[in-house]
Amino acid sequence: MKQESQFSHVKQEWEKETEKTTERFPERKKDFKTSSDIPIDRLYTPEQESDSYIDKLGFPGQFPYTRGIQPTMYRSKYWTMRQYAGFGSAKETNKRFRYLLEQGQTGLSVAFDLPTQIGYDSDDPMAEGEVGKVGVAIDSLADMEQLFESIPLEKVSTSMTINAPASVLLCMYIAVGEKQGVPSEKLTGTIQNDILKEYIARGTYIYPPKPSMRLITNIFRYCQENAPKFNTISISGYHIREAGSTAVQEVAFTIANGIAYVDAALQSGMDIDQFAPRLAFFFNAHNQFFEETAKFRAARRIWAKIMKERYHAKNPKSWKLRFHTQTGGSTLTAQQPDNNIVRVTLQALAAVLGGTQSLHTNSRDEALSLPTEESARIALRTQQILANESGIADTVDPLGGSYYVEHLTNEIERKAMEYIEKIDTFGGAVQAVEDGYMQREIHQTAYDTQKRIEKKEEIIVGLNQFELEEEVNPDLLKVDETLEANQKERLTQIKASRDLDKVQDCLDRLGKAARNDSENLLPYILESVKAYATVGEICNVLREEFGEYTGI
Amino acid sequence: MKQIRVLIAKPGLDGHDRGALIIAQALRDHGMEVIYTGLRQTPEQIAQAAVQEDVDVVGLSSLSGAHRSLFPKVIEALKSKNAEDIPVIGGGVIPSEDIAFLEEKGVKKIFTSGASTDLLAHYIKGLVHSEKVLESPKKISHIGIAVESIDQSLPFYEHMLGLALDMVEEVDTEKVKVAFLSIGESRIELLEPLSEESAIRKFLNKKGEGIHHIALEVDSLEERLLQLKNEGVPLLNEEPKQGANNSQIAFIHPKGANGVLFELTKHVKGSEE
Repeated sequence: MKQESQFSHVKQEWEKETEKTTERFPERKKDFKTSSDIPIDRLYTPEQESDSYIDKLGFPGQFPYTRGIQPTMYRSKYWTMRQYAGFGSAKETNKRFRYLLEQGQTGLSVAFDLPTQIGYDSDDPMAEGEVGKVGVAIDSLADMEQLFESIPLEKVSTSMTINAPASVLLCMYIAVGEKQGVPSEKLTGTIQNDILKEYIARGTYIYPPKPSMRLITNIFRYCQENAPKFNTISISGYHIREAGSTAVQEVAFTIANGIAYVDAALQSGMDIDQFAPRLAFFFNAHNQFFEETAKFRAARRIWAKIMKERYHAKNPKSWKLRFHTQTGGSTLTAQQPDNNIVRVTLQALAAVLGGTQSLHTNSRDEALSLPTEESARIALRTQQILANESGIADTVDPLGGSYYVEHLTNEIERKAMEYIEKIDTFGGAVQAVEDGYMQREIHQTAYDTQKRIEKKEEIIVGLNQFELEEEVNPDLLKVDETLEANQKERLTQIKASRDLDKVQDCLDRLGKAARNDSENLLPYILESVKAYATVGEICNVLREEFGEYTGI
Repeated sequence: MKQIRVLIAKPGLDGHDRGALIIAQALRDHGMEVIYTGLRQTPEQIAQAAVQEDVDVVGLSSLSGAHRSLFPKVIEALKSKNAEDIPVIGGGVIPSEDIAFLEEKGVKKIFTSGASTDLLAHYIKGLVHSEKVLESPKKISHIGIAVESIDQSLPFYEHMLGLALDMVEEVDTEKVKVAFLSIGESRIELLEPLSEESAIRKFLNKKGEGIHHIALEVDSLEERLLQLKNEGVPLLNEEPKQGANNSQIAFIHPKGANGVLFELTKHVKGSEE
């Protein structure tokens, strides 16, 4: 019978893949079982084999990847526990990184301060008050060297939340690798590099959309040739959700942005399978448990279909939506902050059951300030408890086949596709962003949510119900107030110790290259950072050439 | 009343504007005119906009931790433009220990995460209207005396003191019976509880018969309540409620008034004086 043969064909494919995978990454245990000695299979499938199961869910590691992108998922390897960290100076952050690695964290994630993210040096008047506040201040390669001191770059993968100046920080990372003797081909990590969501929701844009898209495709090409293991973009729904969107809007707008990047890269002359395997995604894990799990599953299926059917990508790696997850910062309350540990646990659970590749769990005190070391440790421990104690990682996609979860998955796909088609009719995400369409949709949802909370139609424990009369003030992390002055001082020293002619020469050549649309700017930026040109100097050259985006 | 004009501003480089946008819309829904600066404003630009737009209040939002240095700079910039009379309020991710620091630097009030937009709107209305000096209370409207029984107490007031009885009335909402006796431009109000839940019953149980409250007659009761609330005076009623004799009333908590329960009362048109 045809039905059975398709099912068994795909199943055989999965079994072959599983064998290959487990050779490279053996499963964590020989036998998995519950406390009652019930053996746990790698995967559970419906009793009735059907075509519609294969179409909609399939096997893990097989198109359309609803059940996950690897054949054995967490039976071989847990998700990467990757806590976003960074504050103050490079030296302090280096200390926190080394602490997190010692505590069993498996990847680094760098938070940069706002001046770095918007391409201003610490001594720029625009940087006043912001230096080292929400992340680490990086002015020049000297800071980056200090940031990764004694951290061997061939052994860690590093995620960098950097967008408008992503090219500059990527080049600095490559330069640090070179100094450590690690060739760029061996570097692993991710740059966020997702400018569209900056215009929509996050706000750290510099240049207008067109030159920004050029920088992004320059990075795609440069990395394909020189840093093939680096994820060149992390297409982010996280901030769209933080700005107030629904789960459906998060998926829809993120994938619409993804489509815009694919179109831009194709237009620049690249082949889909050259860059698509290095595209990564970044989602939020919010409160509504089943909807969140369904969201991740739906996102994988939508992307796989778009890449295969719309763009005719041939390489299965191009079809796979790999994603990082962070628990929802805006769900945390300043009131009774310890309650946030529970919220984070549930959100993290939804992310793991949704098949995330890596995860950041927020700290309980983040509605009040940057996390203390103790809070950051509890957040990491939360993931470690989920992984090591709960058994949720012992079978693939344990919620797959739940009538409810599958229904939600289908509905999120359907409603997200409606948005994506609508954005297509506008002429794509770049146009929709310039028109402010997504911004308006998100704002309306955010406002409605606020009203519901104020009317107590939505209950937030500790905020509009179950309040305490006297809140206890927890100990909070304080960023050293002398930091801004120290960082400026350090910058002055570095500026004084460089070969100024060489810096000027590099910057001139960069400016010239910027005026020629067909030049890839990455080699010029790499040369500039190696000459210790600063983030601000490099970004200012490009500001001069590209102009600045001023919002709508 | 003139429409209140508010400048909502994002100082510094912080790009989180969900809160700022929600507040802008909520204040518009409350009938105010709101000007939103957009992201990345320097203190100088904010002060400039506040003066140019002739706003009644400036609201600052920062979630990046830069509030300690940037909020006071906005106040300084307003001063240098002789516009220090424009009140500045703020919000965002602001640890409680920074609130006192910012208030000392001249920020009127900080609203942190979880504050309702209605509360904020009322605060702003109070802030703007309190610039007007409200007229002093006109007179003691009456002195309220709690009694076990009006029938038993009345002869003393009528025959021993010789006061004229104005009226006797039952106020269902308060579960009391009241009798008013005129004395000059004021009155004495005798209050008798009609049920066990009546506040007067509780007062009698706790303290026995005696003076219960003093009522002051005011104009513009709502504005006065907002002003008191903004000054941190504890109120038993934040909104006016219906009192005896078709008046609007509200009580101030005795802990804010040396242990005396004050009633503010406003006689509406058509009510008997």
